[in-house]
Amino acid sequence: MKRIENHPILTFKRGKKIKFYFEGKEMWGYEGDTIASALVANGVKVFRESLKLHRPRGFYCAIGNCSSCLMTVDGVPNVRTCITPLKEGMRVERIKGKGALHYEN
Amino acid sequence: MNKTYDYIVVGAGISGAVVAYELAKRKAGSILILDKDFPTAGATGSCAAGIRAQFGTEFNVSLMKISLEKFENLHEELDYPKELIGLHQGGYLVLAYSEEEMENLRRNVRVQHKIGINTEILTPEEVHYRWPMLRLDGVVGATYHARDGHADPFYTTFAYIEAAKRLGAELRKYTPVLKLLTEGEKVVGVETPDGPIYGGNIVVAAGTWSTKLLKDIGVDIPLWAEKHEILITEPLARFLDPMVISFSKDFYAQQRPHGGFIMGVSPDDPEHWFDPKDYNIQSSWHFLKKMASTILEVMPFLKDVHIVRQWAGFYDMTTDHHHIVGPIDAYDGLWILAGGSGHGFMFGPSVGMILAQWIVGEELAYDITKLNWKRFDEGKLVIEPAVVG
Repeated sequence: MKRIENHPILTFKRGKKIKFYFEGKEMWGYEGDTIASALVANGVKVFRESLKLHRPRGFYCAIGNCSSCLMTVDGVPNVRTCITPLKEGMRVERIKGKGALHYEN
Repeated sequence: MNKTYDYIVVGAGISGAVVAYELAKRKAGSILILDKDFPTAGATGSCAAGIRAQFGTEFNVSLMKISLEKFENLHEELDYPKELIGLHQGGYLVLAYSEEEMENLRRNVRVQHKIGINTEILTPEEVHYRWPMLRLDGVVGATYHARDGHADPFYTTFAYIEAAKRLGAELRKYTPVLKLLTEGEKVVGVETPDGPIYGGNIVVAAGTWSTKLLKDIGVDIPLWAEKHEILITEPLARFLDPMVISFSKDFYAQQRPHGGFIMGVSPDDPEHWFDPKDYNIQSSWHFLKKMASTILEVMPFLKDVHIVRQWAGFYDMTTDHHHIVGPIDAYDGLWILAGGSGHGFMFGPSVGMILAQWIVGEELAYDITKLNWKRFDEGKLVIEPAVVG
């Protein structure tokens, strides 16, 4: 886990533990995490790749602007994981190329 | 000291660019293209870039057939990279929401078949089979023409201008025409912030800005700016090929080559102006709301998709929703090509070429003389049933 446990000024109140899945693999975060903070805490650095040159992209602006953290969450493509709260049982996946849409008709 | 030109083209949108190129190709003389901003800064650059031959009159279908042939060979004719012009012929799917509307579409298709445009008539079941992602509640039928599609309005215009420049035409950006200069019953040039530029022939292709320029020299044309809004979503994997439109619901939507969905819906009561000083090009939440609720009925798969940009542009509308083309014979040497009424980009390559033929006295590829500026006073309007907005 890559979390700051002791900080000289701040104290952290953690909520309950939440289980989620990254690329099918079981991971744990805390209530109050965003998807991105939970991923970072679990050692996941690469969230997606750039569209043209396929370079790795990871945690960057942290305010939902830069599209560096877009991932597929529970089948929905292009979710801004840095501003989306983590929920129990979420399935988080890297987008291959551009996000794919699904339909039910 | 400014040079004197044979032709001054006012406006570097698709219309001005095509006329300038087609004149240069015909070795008509020295040509200067002026734009108050830069090529595509007006309506061309804000348009949805759709190209369709699915119109309802022989006149428009014939012109769009010429335009389609032009678009299909543009990269060769203008010696410009095909991938930049970006012609994508994914077709136009026109949805009908009532029997009456479907009957009108069938009538349009009969006209199209006569001209050699092979539009198909589809049942809702056939539409569902080909494009299962669309929700067809209330759809009674549709028409589809595979050669319709879209192209990049920026690069298409640049391609025309570059080709015109190679043939000797000049372009001056950021040079607004303040006034058309006349002597007696003749145009002699234009006034600009850099001083007068003289030219014996002036082609006004300034879109909605044409009205004021002409009014200032005593020519009244019924052409106004009508605000239409548009938006585009974040890019997604290629999913939907055709431009989907409905005349009764007044919307269009398609997926661009890079994956974003571009779409528009007409306002119930569009804002409109005659004088550029009144223009308001701000985006509105009213559009966003109407667009989202309209499109989700047909494309519910877009519900979680983010919108990245919304903007507005001005349709250069005329009383009968057709271009005004030809000589403005109140003055010798004065010509106009404006008033595309939301279809200026798609008609540009044909109508612009035909105007150049008209100017140099060649036989016209198709007779468009009924689009002359006098038709409004003479009560000879040109009516087209198949329009969005």
